[in-house]
Amino acid sequence: MSRWIYFVLGLFVMSALTGPSYASVPEDMVKAMASNVTTQVRALPANATGVTPQIQSIIERDIMPRFDFTRITQIAMGRNWLKASPAEQKQIIGEFTHLLVRTYSNAINTLRDMDVVVKGSRSNGSDGDVTVRTQMVGRNQPTSIDYFLSNASGSWKVYDVQVEGVSLVSAYRDEFTSLVSSNGVAGVIDALKKKNAK
Amino acid sequence: MALLNMRSITRSTVALVLSCGLALGAAQAQDKANDPLEPLNRGIFFFNEIFDAVITTPVTTLYKAIVPDPIRKSIGGVFGNLDDVYSGLNHGLQGNGQQAGRDFSRVLINTTLGIGGLFDVAGNMGIAKSKTDYGVTLGSWGVGPGPYLVLPVMGPSTVRDTVGRGMRIASDPRTYIPWETGFSLTATEFFHLRAENASSEGLIDSSSLDKYLFTRSLYLQRRSSQVRAASEAN
Repeated sequence: MSRWIYFVLGLFVMSALTGPSYASVPEDMVKAMASNVTTQVRALPANATGVTPQIQSIIERDIMPRFDFTRITQIAMGRNWLKASPAEQKQIIGEFTHLLVRTYSNAINTLRDMDVVVKGSRSNGSDGDVTVRTQMVGRNQPTSIDYFLSNASGSWKVYDVQVEGVSLVSAYRDEFTSLVSSNGVAGVIDALKKKNAK
Repeated sequence: MALLNMRSITRSTVALVLSCGLALGAAQAQDKANDPLEPLNRGIFFFNEIFDAVITTPVTTLYKAIVPDPIRKSIGGVFGNLDDVYSGLNHGLQGNGQQAGRDFSRVLINTTLGIGGLFDVAGNMGIAKSKTDYGVTLGSWGVGPGPYLVLPVMGPSTVRDTVGRGMRIASDPRTYIPWETGFSLTATEFFHLRAENASSEGLIDSSSLDKYLFTRSLYLQRRSSQVRAASEAN
């Protein structure tokens, strides 16, 4: 009799483990993304510098779909997000995505001599968000990189990345706040456009 | 007459500066970052940018070109060894005895087997480096960061971290040796660290819309994350 109870309990545990809410889904996603991208970057010609078409395609195919750029832009805009009209919001998302992708494409070459080790994940508050903790291990001291993921859209997507506890998305908030207070929402769009045109 | 004039000019200048300060304080009240000295900080930040372009970058470029990798690593190792002493001391002050023990083991092993820190023998044995400082210690004791400050040449700081920096200088043996030697050692360390960290600075340049605000946010976030980690470690 007691054996049956354990069996039923076991089933419960199994379904909980394999269910969509279990943290290993985003963890596996980050792991797969990291190993996939690392393998591809290492296969690129070693003398390539800057952002080559190959790097561009890795980013567009294997990284960008895993990021929720709408939410990233919302976080960076903070309270000012609601001051922008839907058309302006769309423009800001487009320009900001472009800036982020362009600048961090330059950093992708560092994966050549670094390994990404997934250290685990934890559930993050009551909204079901998950933080996946990773470390970049290379020649120097390991660098901790935490990915913040949400399943709000039905698939796990990254909405913030913290390097050694520093959120790059939040770093933009002060800049956007100051631009909005001096030149309004249009000031943000102008500044992003100018930066991207450089 | 001239004296009276002088006094009234001084008085009105003081009043003007004060009212400007208040107005700026009010304008910044909506901003999250605690930066009442932003105009002054921006001035020093601008000066530091020029200092970097004119002095630091040429020196570090030359340093990287002349000094081969392994020797640079050893130079960093010697300064790093002294740094480990302070990290150990501060981990102890933060109540993190375990990490303090690891730091002091590193110093012991690297000073002896690693010949004064030239080689990171302890690191190869798996005792990883973990840096901390007086600013983080003060933070872990509950001291808030206070207003953001940009120090000439040294860069981003806060009132608390500047006090921490002062404590480090006061407790550093380099302060008590003939100043020429102490100064050249400190300058070497400064340029060495800047040479090693040059790549991350390029990233700030290419990603920021307002480099001053971006740097401020990165610095304040980093420090509060270090203080949080130190408080949680207990």
